[in-house]
Amino acid sequence: MKRKLSLLIILLILFSLFSGCKDSTEIDENVYTIVIGLDKGSNDNIVLTIQYPQFKSSSKVTSGSSSNTSVDSIETSSILSGIDEFNMAISRNVSLKHTKLIVFSEELAREGIGKYLAPLARFREARRSMFVAVSNGKAVDFINENRSSISENITKSVELMLSQAKGTSYFPFIIFHTFYKNMLSPYGETIAMYIGVNNLSGLAIGKADIPHSALETDIKPGELPRTGGVKREYVGTAVFRGDKMVGYLNPYETRYMSMITGSFEKALLTIVDKKSPGDVIPLDVRLGRKPKISGFFNKGTPIINIKLNMEADIGAIQSRINYEDPGMIEDLNNQIKTYLETEIKKMLTKTQEEFKSDVFEFGTIFAAYFGTIQEFEGYDWLKHYPDAKINLDLTVSIRRTGLIIHSFPVLGTPKTK
Amino acid sequence: MNNEGKFGLIETISIVTIVIVSKILFTSESVVVDFVGTAAWYMTLLSCFTSIIFFLILYILMKRFPGKNLIEIFQLVTGKIVGKLLGFLFALYFLYYAGSNLREFIEMIKAYSYPYTATSLFLVTFIIVTLLLSYKGLENIARISYITLIIFIIGISTILLLALPNANFLYLRPYLGYGVKSTLYYGLLRSSSYDEIIILALIIKSVHGLKNFKIAGLISLGIAGLVSSISLVIYLAIFQHDMGAENLSGMFQISRTIYFNIYFQRLESIFLFTWVITSLVTVSIGFYVSISTYCKTFNIADHRPLLLPFSFLMYIIALKPKDISEIIYTNMAIVREYSGMLLYLVPTLVLIIAFITNKRGVVNNEEKA
Amino acid sequence: MKNAFLKKILTPISYKNIPNVKEFYIPEVNENAEKSKENLEKEISVSGSINDNLNFIKTAFNFENNKDIIIREFKLQNKKDAFIAYLDGMVDRNIINNFILRPLMNDPSSLNTEDSIFERVIETNQAKKLTIQKDVIYGILTGDTAVYLDGKDYYVLCETKGFEKRAVDKPHNEAVIKGSQEAFSENLRTNITLIRKIIKNNNLTTEFLEIGDENRNLCAITYLKGIINPAIVDEVKRRINGIKTDFINGSGMLEQFIEDSPMSIIPTVLSTERPDVVASHIVEGKISIIAEGTPFAIIVPITISALLVSPEDSALRWQYGTLLRIIRIIALFLATLLPGIYIAITTYHQEMIPTELLLAIAIARENVPFPTIVEILLMEFSFELIREAGVRIPGMLGTTIGIIGVLVVGQASVQADLVSPVLIVIIATTGLANYTIPDFSFSTGIRIIRLFFIILGAFLGFYGISIGIVILLSFLVDMKSFGVPFLSISIPKTRKSFNKFIKYPIWKQELRPDEVNPLKLRRQPKVSRRWIQENPKSSYDRKDEDE
Repeated sequence: MKRKLSLLIILLILFSLFSGCKDSTEIDENVYTIVIGLDKGSNDNIVLTIQYPQFKSSSKVTSGSSSNTSVDSIETSSILSGIDEFNMAISRNVSLKHTKLIVFSEELAREGIGKYLAPLARFREARRSMFVAVSNGKAVDFINENRSSISENITKSVELMLSQAKGTSYFPFIIFHTFYKNMLSPYGETIAMYIGVNNLSGLAIGKADIPHSALETDIKPGELPRTGGVKREYVGTAVFRGDKMVGYLNPYETRYMSMITGSFEKALLTIVDKKSPGDVIPLDVRLGRKPKISGFFNKGTPIINIKLNMEADIGAIQSRINYEDPGMIEDLNNQIKTYLETEIKKMLTKTQEEFKSDVFEFGTIFAAYFGTIQEFEGYDWLKHYPDAKINLDLTVSIRRTGLIIHSFPVLGTPKTK
Repeated sequence: MNNEGKFGLIETISIVTIVIVSKILFTSESVVVDFVGTAAWYMTLLSCFTSIIFFLILYILMKRFPGKNLIEIFQLVTGKIVGKLLGFLFALYFLYYAGSNLREFIEMIKAYSYPYTATSLFLVTFIIVTLLLSYKGLENIARISYITLIIFIIGISTILLLALPNANFLYLRPYLGYGVKSTLYYGLLRSSSYDEIIILALIIKSVHGLKNFKIAGLISLGIAGLVSSISLVIYLAIFQHDMGAENLSGMFQISRTIYFNIYFQRLESIFLFTWVITSLVTVSIGFYVSISTYCKTFNIADHRPLLLPFSFLMYIIALKPKDISEIIYTNMAIVREYSGMLLYLVPTLVLIIAFITNKRGVVNNEEKA
Repeated sequence: MKNAFLKKILTPISYKNIPNVKEFYIPEVNENAEKSKENLEKEISVSGSINDNLNFIKTAFNFENNKDIIIREFKLQNKKDAFIAYLDGMVDRNIINNFILRPLMNDPSSLNTEDSIFERVIETNQAKKLTIQKDVIYGILTGDTAVYLDGKDYYVLCETKGFEKRAVDKPHNEAVIKGSQEAFSENLRTNITLIRKIIKNNNLTTEFLEIGDENRNLCAITYLKGIINPAIVDEVKRRINGIKTDFINGSGMLEQFIEDSPMSIIPTVLSTERPDVVASHIVEGKISIIAEGTPFAIIVPITISALLVSPEDSALRWQYGTLLRIIRIIALFLATLLPGIYIAITTYHQEMIPTELLLAIAIARENVPFPTIVEILLMEFSFELIREAGVRIPGMLGTTIGIIGVLVVGQASVQADLVSPVLIVIIATTGLANYTIPDFSFSTGIRIIRLFFIILGAFLGFYGISIGIVILLSFLVDMKSFGVPFLSISIPKTRKSFNKFIKYPIWKQELRPDEVNPLKLRRQPKVSRRWIQENPKSSYDRKDEDE
């Protein structure tokens, strides 16, 4: 009797164990979406586009330019229903566990994307470390061009492209967690990457209407004067208020913005040489110290003091003027300082007057002046940001001059008539 | 009468600390941030402090009756019937505690990792492990909790350290949260989330004497308070107070946002192992204490025949709530906010009655052995 | 001839009478064969007549049929009768011829006085007087010679052991680079001598105990009196004396009889074939049991760290020792958990591996017809087959087949798209990690535990593996080895141990391990290299030299 009872119990336990397999899926029973795109459809619908790599072993893919990913689109009412409806056409289960990038079209962004992000925050498969971007045209066009001319490994290309944000700061490093947090935040507003497709015809040599490239032009995605292997590009920042997009910052303004928020690593800045117009001086700038931001209230007006300390290395002196001389270095410092101050002030004014959106999270400075959360939220910092007075205190110091410590002019050039 | 074995100071500290501190891996952090906003990190220190005061009251009670555990003190001071009733209530509370924690664990793991698996599968396997640990007795549980505490500390520190680059400590402003009044009110109410310290009084015969009891209690409460507070500081610095109130599990979300570069990401498996092992040990301790209290109340010598009936009861308690909202707002409210009325106030009342009726414990030489 | 050949072919199909030949079978008998034993159990004293004794020896050894027993009858000085009895092959014939028979037959004083036979005449180095019959039988069985003179009531048992035995050889399973290269052999006396060569201490005590009823094997327990806690000695003797079984040959069987938890997968005794390992444990306050028949010694009581230590660690610097120990512990975790974690991650938690790895596995698995669990079990099973076969393949092939066969089978399976290449790497790593565990029983136990984790991981993912870890821990913390908790590195807390996880330099290992409660705890003073504190003989003060 005892033996039969114990056998029965063991069988019960074993059978209950077997039922656990409902959650187990083999790796090749799923496709792993890398990029999701959302476009405006008809009648409040959205067009959901997904891009996923195919499971072809590398010996069977023909050439490097044809990508081994597949791009599918469907018109649907929300992201989750779209994923579900894809299962009617794709032979394996669509899984969002490895999504790296979500792209909204600008049309959709200007109407508000909060309602599309909310299900992603709740869904267990979507991780909050994916990147958020707004596309200049249609998202599906961008995704179709999302490939790499260097390798067939699409995931590596996407992730490495996104990590370029840290290296050059021409576009911001925004993950879903940061985007969502700043959307809900009373301290500041959110930003996203601004991306687009370039038709690679901007580089016509000899065309007269390309301005001097040292002047930082207001470039949008798709307008970079280049040709190359791929058409997609990441250019600048999309600025939001709440969950609606209100404007964009060009890549140069993005760099100044990241200088103030402290996420700036290094960049190559080019200034026009005042002593020799027509020549430029590229410099390798980085933050000397983290920016010191302090704020106080002066009769109800918020005053913000930003103290930036930049360091620079000389990249090249096209005019070959001996700027390495100790007296001349000070002059170069001042040139850089004047230039940067003007540009940064222009960018700050743009965010205050045109966008009215505090992308720098200055609200955290002023929250110290309020006791409780109710008082702070009652004051509503986001509404008061355009009234703030911002003072900038910038110091620039050139530390190194590269491998040359004394520039000599070129001799013997025949004078041009 | 003590057949539960003896263990040293470190193991005593581990048992109680792991039970108290495991709740930060669940919904506790989000609920606290929801109540008091940015003041969460010092509100929990306030709760810890209140709990230390109540623990010292408990210590005075235990010192008055040396060598006896809490149930025997109840029976001595308030008479046999009321004492047995109080012991029974304690046993019932700990069973409810174990069952609610079990259900919260299952809801969380189904939400994050196993959405389509049957609940009964988790219940059956979990209860099997609980039965095994309770069958082997308190010494076994004490040694396992020591190892589990080490795993817990290593896991939590790793997760919190790796998540620091995402943290902005300016989000802790404004410092007063939703107001000092609400902080004080919730601080006192949430002191019930440290009330598992009373387990020490129930197993005091296995601890080497009252001095160890006091040191172990204070150190455990100190460690628990410190760990809770630090984890809340970092939690608030990563998620602000409004988004912080949204998450199902604060710690799990922190571990999911760790992203350094292309090769160093997706490290939440550290969290998963820490969390499952800690929950297994916590629920086992709660279950075992419930059975042990019941046995002590009714003078049952061997606790092992009671294992299966109690596990059936725990199964029922775990299945009773309808959905996750009921668990958070009913079960966890009872366990983490209102249980202090039973677990703190009853010993205080018993102490007052003992003062009034001037009852004292007799130093019995055989009890000391 | 042709007829015979034809006959042979036709016989099976012809109708001739085929003789009815019966087959052999073993008939049932009543089990009342206990009577013959009782004679030997009783303590019967030796009788005084030579004929009685002759009959006694002949019946005891089945002299008519048993050709091993030799009884040599002779006369002392041509007057008195005597005989010697011995087992052929177990004795050294030279000693019998030269030192027993010759003096007895030739020495004139052999007739003189009664008891001086074995004081003055017999010239062997050990000689004992035996008055109980069963001791005589046992003595002859161990290879000694029994001498009986007519009229005496005792036998003289002379030590003449000379059976064939294996010489001291290199260790087969526990090879080291820098340690000693001597290993135990099957003979008990040789083994004890090897230990004595290392511990030259007069307190080193060896006690002999008899085990096994039918094969009357000897086992020796060796300990250092004055350091070891006497309770351990008593407990070991109590357990060995309490064994009642018919056949024990060697330490492998003995350890299964005396260990604490025979149902546990992990061994609680340490089994080694090196005398230097035994010696270092004896000096720490443990006891060693050697049974005749296998070249292994058992050491009790131990903790888990003893199973992870290689004998080379004490001969190396502490930095290498610590590094090797860390590698071994990591290997232990890999060997137990790696396949289970692999299957849990790839079937339940695909979000926890980097995308590149995931896609590589998916592409590799695209053409494989089996689900992952079947792949893993298939590869594990085939690797176990190869390992087992590698033990038995003769000659040089045996050692190479283990590694090459694994790789070839693996490579062929990958080419045939039966398994994915990632899996081969995982199984190979697991196998290698398994082999780094120094103790053989432990690594076999780990194989079983690994299977348990694979099944849990396949059914429940990481949750199942965590459950497995907790269950395993709960069994581990309860295990005791002769009173010492098995997981003593951390629980219960003992005094600071100098040799467990991180190997301290040898000049810093000051205390004996606390959990065996030795009688003398300190083994080195605080400053064990006194030469640091003194000045060398020819020294100079570097500050005031002009050179």
